Amino acid sequence: MQMTLNVNGTNYPINVDETTPLLWVLRDVIGLTGTKYGCGIEVCWACSVMVNGQIEKSCKYEVKEAIGKKITTIEGLSADGLSHPAQKAWVECQVPQCGYCQSGVLMAMSIAMQGHTPTDALNEIKNLCVCGTYQRMREAAAVTKA
Amino acid sequence: MTQDTKTQDQGLDRRDFFARTAAGGAGFLLGFAFDASTRAMEASGTEAIVNSYIKVGIDDSITILFGGCELGQGTMTGLAQIIAEDLMVDLNNVKVETALASSISYTTAGSGGMRNRYTRLRTAGAAARDMFVAAGAAAMAVPVAECIANNGKVIHQPTSNSVTYGSVATQAAALPVPLTPALVPVANFRYIGKPVPRIDIPSKVNGKAQFGIDVRLPNMAYAVIRQCPTLGGTLTSTPAKPASAIAVVPCTAQDNRGAQVAGTINAVAVVADNTWKAWQLSKSLSVKWTIPATSAAMDTAAINTQATSLMATGTPIVPENVGDVNGAFLGASKIVEATYSFPYLAHATLEPMNCTASVTPTSCEVWAPTQAANSVLATARAVTGLATNQIIVHTTYLGGGLGRKIEQDYISQAIQISKATGRPIKLWWPREEDFTHDVYRPTALVRVKAGIDLAGNIVSWYSRNVSPSILRQRGAALTTNDSQATDGLLALKYAMSSRKAEWVPNPAAVPVGFWRSVGHSINTYAVECMIDELAFAANLDPILYRQLLFASNPRAKALMDKADEVSQWRKTLPATRKWGTAFCESFGTMVAMVVECSAPTATSVKVHRVEIIVDCGFAVNPNSIEAQMQGGMVHGLAAALWGQIPFKLGAAQVKNFNNYRMLKLGDMPRVTVTIVNSGTPTGGAGEPATPPIGPAVANAWFRLTGTRIRSLPMFPTQSAMGGG
Repeated sequence: MQMTLNVNGTNYPINVDETTPLLWVLRDVIGLTGTKYGCGIEVCWACSVMVNGQIEKSCKYEVKEAIGKKITTIEGLSADGLSHPAQKAWVECQVPQCGYCQSGVLMAMSIAMQGHTPTDALNEIKNLCVCGTYQRMREAAAVTKA
Repeated sequence: MTQDTKTQDQGLDRRDFFARTAAGGAGFLLGFAFDASTRAMEASGTEAIVNSYIKVGIDDSITILFGGCELGQGTMTGLAQIIAEDLMVDLNNVKVETALASSISYTTAGSGGMRNRYTRLRTAGAAARDMFVAAGAAAMAVPVAECIANNGKVIHQPTSNSVTYGSVATQAAALPVPLTPALVPVANFRYIGKPVPRIDIPSKVNGKAQFGIDVRLPNMAYAVIRQCPTLGGTLTSTPAKPASAIAVVPCTAQDNRGAQVAGTINAVAVVADNTWKAWQLSKSLSVKWTIPATSAAMDTAAINTQATSLMATGTPIVPENVGDVNGAFLGASKIVEATYSFPYLAHATLEPMNCTASVTPTSCEVWAPTQAANSVLATARAVTGLATNQIIVHTTYLGGGLGRKIEQDYISQAIQISKATGRPIKLWWPREEDFTHDVYRPTALVRVKAGIDLAGNIVSWYSRNVSPSILRQRGAALTTNDSQATDGLLALKYAMSSRKAEWVPNPAAVPVGFWRSVGHSINTYAVECMIDELAFAANLDPILYRQLLFASNPRAKALMDKADEVSQWRKTLPATRKWGTAFCESFGTMVAMVVECSAPTATSVKVHRVEIIVDCGFAVNPNSIEAQMQGGMVHGLAAALWGQIPFKLGAAQVKNFNNYRMLKLGDMPRVTVTIVNSGTPTGGAGEPATPPIGPAVANAWFRLTGTRIRSLPMFPTQSAMGGG
């Protein structure tokens, strides 16, 4: 099916089966590989993206649902890739280890920060970090500028 | 830092280094071997037998290429810190990249990034520096003795004239490599021992870091694996290609030694123009598998029965036997005996197995998240029949390795699929394939029997471990001890007047492999729970008890003294909270933990606080050490509380994270890391925090409930993980 997706402010014409999860359209068709696969069953949150301001687990979110909506991925979280308050704090506190889960963590965190203090926002998120960087996530949330 | 690091490095000689101009005949390249067991002599042929390089361009660019991988442990930064120190360059101007694989690229395992390589790396940096100083002095026509190096420049001190490294790089490359260059004195360290920020972190907060799964090539197709759900099964016949698939490719198995098993086809890959489509087509295939009768024996119930029988009557290998253990038991005032059981565990790296390959009749290029680029090179040779100089291996970032990405199964499959289809492909394993086709942390049964005298001294210590052998599955001799199985059970630091250790191999055929901290992840639980039982039997505080038993081991004693000092909070806990402790020496590093726990229900524990005290000899980067202590502990805690992979008639029964719980934020205790720099040879950091957390929590649990947990996982009914 032919469709147009708006990702990080850019319109992408694509042609895929309309039931394809957004995750694979982002990664394989558009080439935005910052959004990661972890479990495919909405348990790990590695694939978290923002659709019209809401968090969606893109591994289960069919692409047809995203037509006409504004999609934001980790690549679009800030203009220079380092200036979102959470990104700054994550670098300052040296949070990532392997880094694979952190795209999803930062997307979930930034979405939860809409209406929550950074520390409360962090408590809303349920991302799995196999490296176990949670303590530094807490330290980073504590210094994130709301 | 007042004390420099002693080192286990062997002496260096001429064969460890070579220098030449960089590609194009300009600039400087110093190649060096990372390990004493290998040599850097550049072969006259096309195979470069080095695994790391210092490269300085005539534009003053400085690049360190290292033959390992970055999987989150911070090695990339640690290596750059060490080399920049003696090279006398600004770390901010240094680029670090993974080198293309050579036959001696090293395997990232054994917490070895810094262990045993410290002096070698420093010498490489210092040697290059001295070559620049010599070349710079010649260029300025002044005596070498009047020149120093600083910030990438050679400075003539009497005149303050200077030349940059880049401007004399080509000349420096022609000079002999000095083998005993002076190293920067500890007092002048700018980088070593400092909490330098990790080089790779900025790219890991904005999606730019390229993991294996992110590789994209022109004309690339996407392959998804489907493997026989029953271990040992093979493809009966190749299923027909669905109309919308690009190809269906049967894949030949790899054995546990990394060799292809000719004629054994145990997987089928579907290739399509995106991952999702390939995955759906893969699931739609009607596949028939041939299951050998032997597969049914890969069953947890059967394996446990076998282990119990081997514990009672199996013929052991005896790797340690000091003093008269049996005689000493007769004189003991108390004897405590316990048997501990351990399940198979999965690695569960968040980035699943994947590999990208592009094979033509005359070339093979591989992009892999691998801990063993050298093995990838060998796999590529075996699958394609090509020569080393026709193969290029790129090591990407790894989304976790944990020992799983040493293996070659997924690498071999990707190369086979590209070879069969004649185009670049990226192979991806769905999570379900990853869980059901791991090489698992071995199951084990460990019995410990200890005798103490009236004062609590250990007069006799007997252990017996029954477990499958990682090394035997990989072809090790049947008569020797598997050191991987008994790590953590031998040469214990506690004073014992007699000791005996036995290992009985369990022939169970479930594939087993190296899981973070390997044998220590099993044996430390048994040892540290038993030490706690002995402390209780002797009516002594478990920290004080360990201090007593370490009386003749100053390093361990000092660590436990520090543990005592930083955990004084344990003496004022509310009644609902109890503490526990454990100790472990592994990979040259000693770790003690003190935990604070409560029991919200009879079948669940809450870990509130973890005090980690670590002595890795000398912390090259305290920032990375702290992170690895936290992370290693989290990994060990999840495994101890909830981790298990049961098998039924040859098939793994856990298929995804919903049944393989790991810690999430709400489970995370508050962690404090105290680093003790004892100055002993530099130990590892990636693994040593994994073993002690389980027994520390189990020992706290005993104080909460009066119950000793001797079968892992501790709380199997809590092992489901939700997304909320």
